[in-house]
Amino acid sequence: MYPEIVLTHFLFGIGLGVVMHRSDFCMAGAFRDIFLTGDFFRMRSVILLVSVTSTLLYLARASGLVDSYPPSFFSSPSIAHLTGGVIFGIGMVLAGGCVMGTLYKMGAGNLVSVCAFAGLLLGSLLFAWAYPLHRSFVEATTVSGGFTAMEHLTGSPGLTALLIVSISFLYLFRGKKHPAWTGNAFARGYLDPWKAALIVCAIIILSFTLTGRPLALTSGYSRLASCLAERILPGGVTSLPVDRDDSVRLLYGKVMDQKYLSGTDPVMITQVPMIFGIVIGAFLSALRLGELTIWPAPPRRQLLSGFAGGILLACGSLMAGGCNVWHIMGGLPLLAFQSVLFVFGMGFGAYVGGRLLLTTVLQVERCTPFENHSY
Amino acid sequence: MKTIAIDIRGQICPACLLITLREINTHKTVLKDGRARLVIKTDHRDATRTIPSTVCAMGYDINVTGRKGYYEITIGYRK
Repeated sequence: MYPEIVLTHFLFGIGLGVVMHRSDFCMAGAFRDIFLTGDFFRMRSVILLVSVTSTLLYLARASGLVDSYPPSFFSSPSIAHLTGGVIFGIGMVLAGGCVMGTLYKMGAGNLVSVCAFAGLLLGSLLFAWAYPLHRSFVEATTVSGGFTAMEHLTGSPGLTALLIVSISFLYLFRGKKHPAWTGNAFARGYLDPWKAALIVCAIIILSFTLTGRPLALTSGYSRLASCLAERILPGGVTSLPVDRDDSVRLLYGKVMDQKYLSGTDPVMITQVPMIFGIVIGAFLSALRLGELTIWPAPPRRQLLSGFAGGILLACGSLMAGGCNVWHIMGGLPLLAFQSVLFVFGMGFGAYVGGRLLLTTVLQVERCTPFENHSY
Repeated sequence: MKTIAIDIRGQICPACLLITLREINTHKTVLKDGRARLVIKTDHRDATRTIPSTVCAMGYDINVTGRKGYYEITIGYRK
């Protein structure tokens, strides 16, 4: 079972779980807050994460630590990446977190996230049954020409990094009135999201260096769902093509190439240990801070929202060939075209999900202090 | 002074801030008169950032106390 790979990814997960819980560095929140409360605080850290990752990745590739020129783990873009992003964006708002947010919040005892996790597993199975239809859609809407990332057009990975850093710098440090980097939260053991973003960058680069590919979680959910379903309905789902394709898609990393020859499933030794690691990391962090609670249960409407959101998260991420972890932490720093499409879709989905959340789940008006209050 | 208590522990993100703003809006007369204070129970860590910063900007005083398993945010109008 290649214990060194399993242990490394489990430790990545533990690190991510602790950091995400301490900082509440929720990417779903970063997108959603822009539309619901006009708060750009967490989005700034996401942009910082993308620009620093892009720079470090360029340096790692230039120095030979990562040898994928061009990035082979991103295929040509298709409309499926855009529509998958929209579905994912709606799902993450309804679930109260993305695929990683669901894990660390579940580890800290949040029941909505437990429902979202169940939805993610069910959604993975539902998508597996609809997979042939999805394949036809992808084949019909894929852009031909073999262009997968910006460096295919510019011919230079350095230009991609320079472009991302320049745009990020202009946004992050524009004018004198840019919002504060420090959150001033009263929570015990609080870690500012910008510090969390830098720690996550380090984990992403470590993952690239050790396995030759970005972090990912979606296929891990899919595999867990298949394993559970196999126990209930033996022979029913494990041979579905979605699982086989996932394994093939993940073989391009240099470590994975060698290991696959012996028949080991790369997802089971990378993503699944990381999923468990994130949950355990957040659990330990919450326990250490005295914040581990389950009760009181949230309203039933919110539990249902979490479950439905989880199903949409799974379908959206499988449709787009990866979740926000794969596209924002892995694809966007390389300006992979499919990731750019996914992020645009995700932003639109967050807006739609935000409206749904307000009107059907929370049943409150969108209210910012400056709209509804006089001083 | 009357205490208006709201327990939003375990609720979906970002319910904490939105519900708090709704309650402030509902009770703003008694809060501004100093006849009542709002006490929010939340286990959402980011709410200890978003609620104080938003509510302070609205002219309210705020106090956050860490309890076992949750945070208690007390909101009263600034004199």
